[in-house]
Amino acid sequence: MDVQFLVSFALIAATFGLYIGIAIYNKAKATSDFYVAGRGVPPVFNGMAIGADWMSAASFIGMAGTVMVLGYDGLAYIMGWTGGYLLLTFLLAPQLRKYGRYTVPEFIGDRYRSDTARLIAAVATIIISFTYSVGQLSGSGVVIGRLLEVNAAVGTLIGVVLIAFYSALGGMKGITWTQVAQYIVLITAYLIPVIFMALQLTGNPMPWVSYGQVIDELRVLDQELGITEYVVPFTEGTKWQFLALMFTLMAGTAGLPHVIVRFYTVSTMKAARWSGAWALLFIGLLYLSAPAYAAFSRFILMTQVAGSAINDLPAWTASWVDTGLLSVADTDGDGVLQWQEIVISNDIVVMATPEIANLGIFVIGLMAAGAMAAALSTAGGLMIAISAALSHDIYYRSINPNASEKKRLLVGRWSIVLATVIAGLIALNPPGAITQIVAWAFALASGSFFPALLLGVWWKRSNGPGVIAGMIVGLSVTLGYIFAAKYGGFTVLGIIDTGAGVFGAAAAILTNIIVSLATKEPTREAQEEVIDLRYPEQMTYRDGEVWMDDSQDVPDSTK
Amino acid sequence: MKKIEKKVADGYFRARTTMIVIYLAIGFLVSYGVVLFAEPLSTITFNHFPLHYYMGAQGAVLTFIILLFVNAVVSDKIDKKYGIDAKKNESISAGKTLDH
Repeated sequence: MDVQFLVSFALIAATFGLYIGIAIYNKAKATSDFYVAGRGVPPVFNGMAIGADWMSAASFIGMAGTVMVLGYDGLAYIMGWTGGYLLLTFLLAPQLRKYGRYTVPEFIGDRYRSDTARLIAAVATIIISFTYSVGQLSGSGVVIGRLLEVNAAVGTLIGVVLIAFYSALGGMKGITWTQVAQYIVLITAYLIPVIFMALQLTGNPMPWVSYGQVIDELRVLDQELGITEYVVPFTEGTKWQFLALMFTLMAGTAGLPHVIVRFYTVSTMKAARWSGAWALLFIGLLYLSAPAYAAFSRFILMTQVAGSAINDLPAWTASWVDTGLLSVADTDGDGVLQWQEIVISNDIVVMATPEIANLGIFVIGLMAAGAMAAALSTAGGLMIAISAALSHDIYYRSINPNASEKKRLLVGRWSIVLATVIAGLIALNPPGAITQIVAWAFALASGSFFPALLLGVWWKRSNGPGVIAGMIVGLSVTLGYIFAAKYGGFTVLGIIDTGAGVFGAAAAILTNIIVSLATKEPTREAQEEVIDLRYPEQMTYRDGEVWMDDSQDVPDSTK
Repeated sequence: MKKIEKKVADGYFRARTTMIVIYLAIGFLVSYGVVLFAEPLSTITFNHFPLHYYMGAQGAVLTFIILLFVNAVVSDKIDKKYGIDAKKNESISAGKTLDH
């Protein structure tokens, strides 16, 4: 065991201790004021919690690497994952908050007055969250693998145990403040290396302002090597693939059950709007930095690693080659490592950066702690979504309505353990890079939930048969396209598997509209509920008239 | 409880919806619009960046953040104009969901 291992391990252990301490403290507090009405998390902190929930291993570990490898084409991820908050905050979150339910499937079931719709939504929640957690587990595998200097697969197994334990034990209530702490850890860990690199390379500690110079120099380097320039658009796919991927990620963001649930916990529609704004500000800090990471890392690799003698490579390369995610082979046998001979996995760029830039053991340890925070916080949210769908929407509401709270909790905990283990087994041999696996989860969400929620909130005529047909068609089209594109080589306009959501969403919206119009319109009560969502809490729509609650009562704190 | 005129209630909904349509149009322009015209825009340089790259890496994200804050502020103003009391809203919606 070397010093690096001890430092990284100590930092991870310290941050874990912090999260668990906060969870215990809040749990004790929560019991005492559980029945006090009006307790809400202030929007600023809720924004941080949404940020931690949202920024996963894919954002933390994978994104900068994706941008580095794909160049301009990787920016679809940056715009897609941030733009989703526009759709979510403008079109869905406040209305969903006013409707007020516990889970997304429950909203769909009650709004559309259909148990079948609720069950389909619950199954969709499980499929989407499950796919997403495969990405998280393979991310934690990268971190743990590097830390313990074992293969990424062994790292994944250790991550499975950690995440199953962490989410089954804690993570039920009072998780918000833990996620605030996780946000602070992960954003600090992400920003420190990129600020140091900016200082080293440009003399300016503001990477966001200064990496334009590096982009300029990269162009010159690319031209000298005679390879395609870094900033040239659409080198990896067609323009349509770029647009389709961006849409898939945006609509998927607005339809991810574990993110939407966060907007149920704010106090009002107004708080939902502010939470969305703060969330994107905090998320944006990381997303604005990722392309800077990508540019700096590529620059250092091109100027300091490429061109060195194969026997004289920096020490860090050896430990990453061991994880199986980096390959440096002198294929032309001239004793010098060329840029073209470096094969670097998207998933290690961020984690390797502190070593590449020689930032010291403390920063490397901090990165490991930050990456674990990102993977854990998202995995925690995903596992809660899965267990809520299973124990609340399926078990309690459909199978055993008389189940005691204790029994439901037990079903919930076991479903977490089971889901984590199965996701871990798949993550052992991941079917794609982290960002790609995660993109599939978004494609599925944009093909199922986004259309169902959008029409559910904005179109009163949409009904049960419409949403059932819509979700089934949307999911089938999305899944079908992912498989056809990935394994069958079938594409439309060059749109590959990660852009499948655009077809799924279009098919689901069309089907929902056509089937809704062809079947009986929803009850008057159901339609009035939808009109009611146009107004703030204080206004109520009833019998074709709008009423304003102007009574001066004190909130009834005993209910 | 006091009845509100249909015209007033519709006015509230229309004011909010119009703003949202405007924000979404701007948001789409800086993301989808720029990607559609990426090639011609790449000849323009902004702070060492080709413009299409700058918009993808920073410009669009910054615009999104500003739009969300503008929406939060403007919506509060609209609420105020229609006499909506934020405290009242809190007490009405309290207890309608689980606290996670």
